[in-house]
Amino acid sequence: MTERPSLWWIDWRLSPGSLVRETIGRFLFSCILGFLLLSLLLSGGASRFLADRYAITAVLRAEVPSAEAEGLARKIAALPPVRSAVYRDPEAAWKEFLRAYPGLDPVRGAEGNPMPGYIEIRIRPDRLTKADVDLVTSALRSVSRVEQVLAGEEWLPGMLRAGRFAAWGCWGIFGVLLAGFFLVARLQERGRAVALAGDFAFLEERGVPAGRLAFLRSAAAAVTGFLLASAGTAGGGGALFLALRTFPFLEGTIGPPSDLLLPRTVIAAVLFCVCTAFLSGVGSFLGWRAARSGRK
Amino acid sequence: MIEGFRLGIFSRGKTLWDGLDFAFGDAAAWFVAGPPSSGKTLLLSILRGERKPDAGDVVVSGESLYRGNPALARAWRASCGHVPEQPAADARPTVGDLFRRSALAGGGVTESERKDRTDRLLEMVGLSGALAYRIAELSGSERVRACLAAELLRGPKVLFCDGVIAGAGIPYREMLWGLFRALAREGNTVVLAERTIPERWALAAGDAEPVGPFRVYRLPVPGAAA
Repeated sequence: MTERPSLWWIDWRLSPGSLVRETIGRFLFSCILGFLLLSLLLSGGASRFLADRYAITAVLRAEVPSAEAEGLARKIAALPPVRSAVYRDPEAAWKEFLRAYPGLDPVRGAEGNPMPGYIEIRIRPDRLTKADVDLVTSALRSVSRVEQVLAGEEWLPGMLRAGRFAAWGCWGIFGVLLAGFFLVARLQERGRAVALAGDFAFLEERGVPAGRLAFLRSAAAAVTGFLLASAGTAGGGGALFLALRTFPFLEGTIGPPSDLLLPRTVIAAVLFCVCTAFLSGVGSFLGWRAARSGRK
Repeated sequence: MIEGFRLGIFSRGKTLWDGLDFAFGDAAAWFVAGPPSSGKTLLLSILRGERKPDAGDVVVSGESLYRGNPALARAWRASCGHVPEQPAADARPTVGDLFRRSALAGGGVTESERKDRTDRLLEMVGLSGALAYRIAELSGSERVRACLAAELLRGPKVLFCDGVIAGAGIPYREMLWGLFRALAREGNTVVLAERTIPERWALAAGDAEPVGPFRVYRLPVPGAAA
């Protein structure tokens, strides 16, 4: 084997032991960050949780035939913000009513079933906004067969605001962890730059430009950061996949495992890896600079 | 050829030396003797391109080190070896680490070549089997010899040694005498800076050329024209 020594991966050549330890730590950190990122991407913060629990009910007029009601449900389901629109006929509505209020059977007298049929509409988690809810409700109200639209409009803004705050909180925690990753990386890089100061001085004395050393160290740190973030995100994604498969109830809050392979999820994960690579590179450069200037 | 023209250093509010001219020819071993605090270490760092002189210039093979192309100055530094007077202040690494970083500095040294040459060089300087020793565990003499061997790994065209003869100690003088002359015979240039020249070396070198506070000797190289 004829290995040509180069300044690429110079830290690995000079201090492999400490780098292995740091790399293991960063990989585990990346796994946690990857898990959190994918969970947040799938859940949209609290959007999926809220969307799972929020429904618009379009109460139909009594005389609407089932076939027409189902056709209307299909049309509503075709609206962009709508995830599902399911028609419940009056009999199903009556059974639901009895389940909710047992013992009220006598209400159904000689006049028959007092419950009208209705369409239950659920909104897509990423479209759960006031504007999209208004779009659906206004579309429903314009239909003569719909008697009433129950969309909880009096408490919807508050719920959406709470959802927004929850999402900000979740992304804030993620951001704090990412900033922590950056700071830890910077400290590690600085410590290593101090430990290897003698070696770097030796190389500089022998004609290796300090700028080239700093650049190559940063570039190597960025490449390592990208690889670690990729591996960590894949590991975190795998853990999330297993968790969703093992505990299906989590799907209501986080989302289905199949969403992990959606193009937007993959693109976001790649962007995260690029961002981590950038932070690793910058952390390496700042650590190097701090070590050389003797500042903390 | 390394030439110093009208070199001057102004330090601590006074002139250490000024207007000194040096000419170190290729394929020779040069010995610069000077009293303590005369600026020997400073002179070597100026000749290596590390420290710009306060006056004058250094020209290597016709190119100015300080007024010419910085890339040429870097290439010159890369082609030089340097054994400092107090080697390895950073005493954490092992002898093997010295060789590893020396190989890094000389980008063309292959891994197998490094391993092969390391053992031979250590044996040559009387440090067989010392590869795994920590620098902190070595004596002053051993440190100097380990650093010298590590520098020789890259096969520098020019070798600057600062206080190596005194640092290595009397038992190693003969080995160093033979080594430096052999290096010169192979076409390398060696510049040694010491407080005093061993008597036998002075006798062999003949008359010294006085340059400021220094006395410059050219050591005889067997088989080479004087």
